[in-house]
Amino acid sequence: MDFDYLSKITFFIMKGTGVTLQIYVVTLVFSIPLGIICAIGKISRFKALRAVIWAYTWLFRGTPLLLQLVFFYYGLTAMTGGYIQLKPLSAAFMAFSINYGAYFTEIFRSGIQSVSKGQYEAAKALGMSPWQTMRRVVLPQAVKVVLPPMGNEAITLIKDTALCSVITVTEILRNSQVTVARDARVDSFLVAAAIYLCLTFAIMQVFRVLEKRFAYYKS
Amino acid sequence: MEEIIRVENLHKRFGKLNVLKGIDLTVSRGEIVSVIGPSGSGKSTLLRCLNHLEAADRGSISFEGEFIAQADKNGNAVYKKSKEVLAVCSRLGMVFQNFNLFPHKTALENLMEAPLTVKKADKAETERKAMELLAKVGLTDKKDSYPGQLSGGQQQRVAIARALAMEPEIMLFDEPTSALDPELIGEVLEVIKQLAAESMTMVIVTHEMGFAREISDRVIFMDDGRIVAEGAPDDIFVNPEHPRVKAFLGKVISRG
Ligand SMILES: Nc1ncnc2c1ncn2[C@@H]1O[C@H](COP(=O)(O)OP(=O)(O)OP(=O)(O)O)[C@@H](O)[C@H]1O
Ligand SMILES: [Mg+2]
Repeated sequence: MDFDYLSKITFFIMKGTGVTLQIYVVTLVFSIPLGIICAIGKISRFKALRAVIWAYTWLFRGTPLLLQLVFFYYGLTAMTGGYIQLKPLSAAFMAFSINYGAYFTEIFRSGIQSVSKGQYEAAKALGMSPWQTMRRVVLPQAVKVVLPPMGNEAITLIKDTALCSVITVTEILRNSQVTVARDARVDSFLVAAAIYLCLTFAIMQVFRVLEKRFAYYKS
Repeated sequence: MEEIIRVENLHKRFGKLNVLKGIDLTVSRGEIVSVIGPSGSGKSTLLRCLNHLEAADRGSISFEGEFIAQADKNGNAVYKKSKEVLAVCSRLGMVFQNFNLFPHKTALENLMEAPLTVKKADKAETERKAMELLAKVGLTDKKDSYPGQLSGGQQQRVAIARALAMEPEIMLFDEPTSALDPELIGEVLEVIKQLAAESMTMVIVTHEMGFAREISDRVIFMDDGRIVAEGAPDDIFVNPEHPRVKAFLGKVISRG
């Protein structure tokens, strides 16, 4: 084993890890609220709103994330004659937030709909407004239901960030590809794999703890 | 006597199904009214119209002399703004067959939820009152239990206390003991009897005929969306005149 070489490439790939985590956090920060809002919209009584949200989730769940990523980076520029030109990282933020927002919409919708009609009725009978009911009764119960599917998405998201290498974002995979090409040695790919494994393991632990925390009651 | 609820010519349909076909009913302060009748006769629907979980199609509903829904010149029910309707909801306590407690909150938190969020009441004061109510239904030691950790009878007692926490003018019960194992029915009926002794106004839909007879000032018999007979408990249970009441009671009694 060439530890000198390993430590050099690991340091370089770790810099990519920072970028990966940046995409990860930004995506979650935007896509979770987007998902909650769209989920509430999707079960609202406004037909036009429901149709718009349906089209949104269909479009972004029905086409490859890679295609969306490329669209936000190259496609937008081409279509607007160069008027809109996103930086690679901004394109990644946009594509990922909107794409994951679509998945979270479906997850939250099913979570909200898992709360029984009786809960809404009990809240209304006590004089709680629809908004109070959503905030105090429905969403807290939906959280418990959505945690397992959210955990799946959270792990998938770590791995999906690798797609950003295609649009020159210097994240983990991109940096390891660069070293592999430069040094004609594949060690970097092993380092990248190890880092992804560590990250996904950490996320799994976070969700294990969260699910435990919500196990305090039976629904 | 002061009227709390007055309903006139109430009609309700679900699609093509006519469920309530012109109900007239008044409930006065301190009165205990039981509603009995065969399955599907519209008892639950009537109760749910009283506290606006269902919207009536025709007729009028008033609460303490104020119209909540008023019949227009064609007889169609026209409701007040939903905010005003909701304010009335908070003054009617409702107890459901399936309890409908909030599973993610402890017994104590279930009682405190509505006073805190709806009335924006003081927290310490709300907790003190909630503890009093839990004591009243005999569940002081269960204050930190979640509904999933309680028996059906205990859950229903918490649900009654939760409704009482809003200090309602009237309590509505929709078959409060139907989902309970037989040995747990008594403890819930005891709590309701205790409320009766404190002259709480109540409308109770029930299949417990003995209980209805014992507790009620007035019994209403519903069949096919109409009030078919109405009177003092003895008039209904001892010498029913109406043939359908007779037939119903005969069936219920022979069943058990
Ligand atoms: N939300 C609804 N949608 C459609 N039909 C309904 C709805 N709620 C009740 N019904 C129908 O209305 C009729 C009356 O129902 P309701 O629940 O008021 O009867 P009930 O007298 O309470 O009967 P039970 O003793 O079985 O509780 C039934 O035929 C029922 O199927
Ligand atoms: Mg019923």
